[in-house]
Amino acid sequence: MEFDYTPSELMAVAGARELRDGEVVAVGLGLPVVASFLAKQTHAPNMTILFELGVIDPQPVDQGVGLADPRVWYRATVLSSFVDILGEVLHRGRVDVGFLGGLEVDQYGNLNTSLIGEAQGKFRHMVGSGGANDIASCAKRTIIIMRHEERKLKKTISFITSPGYISGNDSRSQAGLAGGPSRVITDKAIFNFHPDTKQMMLASIHPGTTLDEVLGTMGFSPLVPEQVPTTEPPTQEQVGLIREVIDPRHMYMG
Amino acid sequence: MTKISTLSDAVASIPSGAHLALSGFAITRCTMAFAREVIRQGISHLTISQCVGAMDADILVGAGAVDRMIYGGGSLDRFGRLNCVNRGIEDGTLAAEEYSSLSVTFRYLAGALGIPFMPIRSLRGSDLMSQLKERSGSNIANITDPFTGEQWPVLKPLLPDVAVVQVQAADKDGNSWITGPRWDNIEQVRASQRTIVITERLVTDETIRQNPERTVIPGLFVSHVVELPFAAHPTSVYQAYDYDAVQIQAYVEATRTPDTLRSYLDQYIYGVKDHWEYLEKVGGLQHLISLQADPVMGY
Repeated sequence: MEFDYTPSELMAVAGARELRDGEVVAVGLGLPVVASFLAKQTHAPNMTILFELGVIDPQPVDQGVGLADPRVWYRATVLSSFVDILGEVLHRGRVDVGFLGGLEVDQYGNLNTSLIGEAQGKFRHMVGSGGANDIASCAKRTIIIMRHEERKLKKTISFITSPGYISGNDSRSQAGLAGGPSRVITDKAIFNFHPDTKQMMLASIHPGTTLDEVLGTMGFSPLVPEQVPTTEPPTQEQVGLIREVIDPRHMYMG
Repeated sequence: MTKISTLSDAVASIPSGAHLALSGFAITRCTMAFAREVIRQGISHLTISQCVGAMDADILVGAGAVDRMIYGGGSLDRFGRLNCVNRGIEDGTLAAEEYSSLSVTFRYLAGALGIPFMPIRSLRGSDLMSQLKERSGSNIANITDPFTGEQWPVLKPLLPDVAVVQVQAADKDGNSWITGPRWDNIEQVRASQRTIVITERLVTDETIRQNPERTVIPGLFVSHVVELPFAAHPTSVYQAYDYDAVQIQAYVEATRTPDTLRSYLDQYIYGVKDHWEYLEKVGGLQHLISLQADPVMGY
């Protein structure tokens, strides 16, 4: 049976597919929340969801305006603190996956959420790190979700708030960091990273999108393998859960 | 000596130039009535620290009360950015020491434990690190782990003069309960010289003693206890009241330019005598009751 889905729904579903049952996942609000709750309600019922301020495994019935909204803490199993979540779980090394968004990402998966360049060398100051730098530094792997636009996928970003593979090759491990980004999910494609050079590499293209559309709207050239598969589309069940249960008021999907 | 105090007296105990750790996180449990009274009393040249920048810090910066901010980035969630903090950084009137949430937490934790420094995995390879070394080089350094030989960034303890913490319940000695997540508040209190507790409700000594495992701030850290309902308005207090979306939106709009901010401050701070007049101004009892939290949902 035919059914429609939006690019955001495809991104959330692609994010959910990256998560495995039993994993511990540190999540920020927006699409990552949809992806995580979707995974938890489908193939990963034993996953543990963490919010940095001290929330473990919430089961919200209302959508919130951010992590500071008690709506997203509802029916948590633990309400604690930064030391508990970012310290004794994340810094300790127990977070399998960190989900991050950003204003800009470069070819090595470094993320900027701090400064946006304007005319005459001026900068606008944005939200900064919050727990993003900590998650990017300490999680076993990170998944980046963002819109596919030339001004967001850039050769050089204005500020590295959260490190990916820094300047490629072994520069991340030289800095004393394990982990690193495993996927970048956009509304046109999914990328992974070259095992040695750590350059961003095209992994799949979303249905209905061409290779030219993907490459023509990026500020750098990713590695492109000879065969690029098409991203698996969402199922009707997944889209139904997003629309009816997880985000009925479109607070996260935009 | 009694710790029970009016808001005005508690605020008057703070000298200009002090370093305050504030309990807000974005738009929840912000020390708003406290910030408004600081502005009314004209206390200035403050240093403000918190792990995630919140509305209490933003309004103090907007009113010109703050010289320096030590924080891990922040926003007003979906309502908008920290317009006053960001403008202060952009025009150079605010010195910002910008970290991640965990690195500020670890600076408080080092202060709380009385240890000389705290190693951290975060910040490596980022521009946060290079910017901190350039602007505040004395607060971050590198050390060789004496056991493994590994290199580690280390953070200097953060030792605020006063922690100001919004809680749900406290007794006359300052023994306090925080319901819901506590983000950095526990470490803020223990790292600071002393703490001012702003409580929604003053409870009896007996209430505390019947449920001592709920006490997250022992009275021994506390200098002042201020009982003040809706003191975090327009931000939320879990299990007490929801955020006031209309008033936060009005604040975000007002803080877009210095002129509109000025009229906001005139209307809601300089133009009212105290917290009670402020509560009347934003809608009075009928409006405030509509924000009261459902006891099961907590909001």
